[in-house]
Amino acid sequence: MLSNILEVFARPDFPEKLREHVVLSLVALLVAVAIAMPVALMIRNTRLGAAIAINIGNVGRAVPSLAILALALPLLGIGFASALVALTALAIPPILINASTGLREVNKDVIDAARGMGLSGGQILARIQLPIAAPVIFAGIRTSAVQTVASATLATFIGGGGLGDLIVEGYSERGPEILLAGAIAVAILAIITEVGFGALERAFTPKGLKIAQKRGR
Amino acid sequence: MKNRTKLIRAVPALLTGLSLLLVVACGNVGGTDSSSGGSSGPTITVGSKDFTEQFILGSMYAQALDANGFNGVAKLDLGSAPIADKALQNGQIDLYPEYTGTSLVEILPYKGNPADLNSPRATYEAAKKLYAKRSPADKMLTPAPFNNTYGIFVRSSVAEKDDLTNMDELAQDSKNLTFISFSQFQNRSDGYPNMQKNYPALDFEEIKIVNNLGLRYSGLQSGEGDVGVGFTTDGQLTSDQLVVMEDPKSIWPFYHPAPVVRSDVLKKYPKVEKVLNEVTASLGLDTMRELNGKVDLDQEDPEDVAKEYLEEKGIID
Amino acid sequence: MSNPALLLLQDVLEKPELIDWEWIRENFWEDIVPAFQGHIFLSFVSVAIALVIALPVGVISARYRKVYPPVTFVTGILYSIPSLALFAILISIPGVAIGPSPVIIALVAYSLLILIRNTVAGLDSVPPETIDAARGMGLTNRQILFRVELPLALPIIVAGIRIATVTIIGIATIGAYISGGGLGALIFDGINRQFPTMIIAGAVLATALAITADLLLLGLERYLRPWARVRRT
Repeated sequence: MLSNILEVFARPDFPEKLREHVVLSLVALLVAVAIAMPVALMIRNTRLGAAIAINIGNVGRAVPSLAILALALPLLGIGFASALVALTALAIPPILINASTGLREVNKDVIDAARGMGLSGGQILARIQLPIAAPVIFAGIRTSAVQTVASATLATFIGGGGLGDLIVEGYSERGPEILLAGAIAVAILAIITEVGFGALERAFTPKGLKIAQKRGR
Repeated sequence: MKNRTKLIRAVPALLTGLSLLLVVACGNVGGTDSSSGGSSGPTITVGSKDFTEQFILGSMYAQALDANGFNGVAKLDLGSAPIADKALQNGQIDLYPEYTGTSLVEILPYKGNPADLNSPRATYEAAKKLYAKRSPADKMLTPAPFNNTYGIFVRSSVAEKDDLTNMDELAQDSKNLTFISFSQFQNRSDGYPNMQKNYPALDFEEIKIVNNLGLRYSGLQSGEGDVGVGFTTDGQLTSDQLVVMEDPKSIWPFYHPAPVVRSDVLKKYPKVEKVLNEVTASLGLDTMRELNGKVDLDQEDPEDVAKEYLEEKGIID
Repeated sequence: MSNPALLLLQDVLEKPELIDWEWIRENFWEDIVPAFQGHIFLSFVSVAIALVIALPVGVISARYRKVYPPVTFVTGILYSIPSLALFAILISIPGVAIGPSPVIIALVAYSLLILIRNTVAGLDSVPPETIDAARGMGLTNRQILFRVELPLALPIIVAGIRIATVTIIGIATIGAYISGGGLGALIFDGINRQFPTMIIAGAVLATALAITADLLLLGLERYLRPWARVRRT
């Protein structure tokens, strides 16, 4: 059985599907960050703006992935592009929520002190708010990344390609090898994403915060 | 604090209670189409695979049984052939509509190339023999007199321009064409590899994978591809926008629809065989295509289409 | 003086290619309601079973920390297997019936990680002084667990239940692929038949269900955490 599973990985169309899956997930994530971060930055100092952003994010997070992908079908047609748009929409909420919350959570006293020291709004953002919010923001990006990799398996249903194709194909086969190969591939991809972004999160956590975290504050 | 404790104690009790309530309340769970005939008489459960023709055939068999002294229950849309077979062998269903060739490729341990069987009869006999040897044993009943095989179809405009009528000509022209296929076809021995073996000139410019029948057809219509693969009874093929390529080398196995019933069910209720055979014998290629078209193109319900057909043929009144 | 946004919405809703209200009227009781019922059944039973497993495991993991890493590891692996794959794998195991059962098994498996994690986090959040005080008052360990620790841990546990429930409602849509029923059946049928009305019906209802559950549980969470209401998040 194991050799049969490995045979699937050796198939000529496997790298293609893997590539499709990675590209779908990565591009969706990057575009989602490009959309969510500016919004979070814009509303960082307004209470109403933050509330709206967080509520939209919460609603967005509750939407089932299959629903959005399926809705893309009548609206945008079949194929890679539709799947990409749907996945991007799905990737935005966790980033938006965490970025908005993270930036808002920065202690008002710290910001006041910085303002007192004569720092401009932009400087406060770059030197204080962003570094402090960084861990939370990256946690959001990490969550979104793992979720996107998982949702990308569903792209197969709207002709978007990816490793989901293998799973669907394997589902109709007599033996479970093709199915398992697809499942294992996506699971490994998801784990790599989780671990990779976790490392990124740690890399971007300012040293001072790391120490504070360790002390359990 | 006291309220909190009460809350905690109440929660599991509440959950269990509500679960039980739901179990009782929600009678219709599992599977889109599970309909009970409502007649009295022994219950016969008819399953089906996961595409339109199967929904129609399954409904037909269930309704025919229901009108003939049984309580015909339809459990449609179970999944692929291996899944439906699993349900059959573990008793969740008593029969389902299969195809002679498909059973040899996907279910039975047939030790040869099903495409080499050179007549529908030979294909049926091979399948019937292997089904009888299983445990629990099954019987594949008399097949319908038409072949629902793979159809390679080309957009009419392209077929006219390049003068394509059969697979040989298609293979020669394939360098300029895009083929919309699906994963299973590309990788199964009786699918694309079979095509390539028999028409070696085949070399498509691009092959797109779309794992959904309806989407493949619409992809062709919207010009995303020139050539597609479907089945000869697909309702979409009644359209003059598409031309089915002839297969002079007859490269595919014969796929005649035939219900597969567990032998113990037939032993208990021999009348089942007669009822099912009557339905099967009445079918034909054009009829099937038309019925499929009613569901896929006109959005009618498979159960209604089946009922209309059976009434028309006088099998039920 | 018509609002252009409303006009656009009206236009989209009335577009015959997108939503066939006739079909909805005709098939409401036959197709839509059973799908909705099936979905609630799947989600509810799965959350209930998951809680029955996760709460005790969480309590044990909080007490005997050595157990926690392997528990997290196993549930984490279950969580990272894509839902579509897990469903299909379960079906290929001999002896598993076709229908809602494999869907429920998978849904339970998915929610274990978050529920256990939040149970442990909730119990961890109870100040040690409070436990000491309770012990000082003569309460047994069992009494402390049920009368002090769990009530105080409840907000975080409910937060976990909220996330698990919303996740389950979402993933249950995919369960229709293996004949599990639910609103996903409308979605898949709609895709197969190229009938946007069914897709939209299934998608909208599933989303509404998820959001409703989210809001209800959020309300419960806020109710249980009155001290958080005073301070702004």
